[in-house]
Amino acid sequence: MNRNNIFEKVQQIFRDVFDNQKLTIVDSSTAESIDDWDSLNHINLIVGIEKEFDIKFSLNEVTALKDVGEMINLINHKVQIA
Amino acid sequence: MKTHQFHDLKLNDSEAFNVIITEKMMADFCLISGDNNPLHVDEAYAIENGFENRVVYGLLVSSFYSRLVGRHLPGKHALLHGIDIAFKKPVYVGDCLTVYGEITHLNAAYQQIEVQATITNQENLVVSKAKIKVGLHG
Repeated sequence: MNRNNIFEKVQQIFRDVFDNQKLTIVDSSTAESIDDWDSLNHINLIVGIEKEFDIKFSLNEVTALKDVGEMINLINHKVQIA
Repeated sequence: MKTHQFHDLKLNDSEAFNVIITEKMMADFCLISGDNNPLHVDEAYAIENGFENRVVYGLLVSSFYSRLVGRHLPGKHALLHGIDIAFKKPVYVGDCLTVYGEITHLNAAYQQIEVQATITNQENLVVSKAKIKVGLHG
């Protein structure tokens, strides 16, 4: 699975969590740029990603993320070493 | 009341309890919610519309999901994050319900668990299903 594949799957997770099938994410997307990205939806995103890719995050990892691009990179790293 | 902390819990942990629906529960829920729809308060109307009797409020039945997480799984340290509920069959006064929940996912980063829950009646028919997200605090 390459980064583009991961990106597409993560985009669908965002669309499901925010209940908006037109939502488009980019690497620079953040909680400030996406409506309703609050703390509960953030947990929903992380749980959705963990389930989709069968990976686990630590609190330090997820709190260090600055934008979607870093999130994708972290997923890519975990998927490659799994 | 259970006092499970996140680190005590594991996948497939489960809890269950029974409850009988009473007339008082129906009256209290009608008072609290203000929902006096005839399906819930008028026996003749309910029967005319194809039900055995007055239909118990779906959200009254669902209130036992609150007891499930707040008292049993995980108990004291629960903070309900969200719940998706489906109503499968009508419930009537006098029904004996079994409320069952099982942990299907644990998120360590945010100390959140997911509980797949079902409520079955005395005939072992599923009357409601729910996917519950619960955080743990303290």
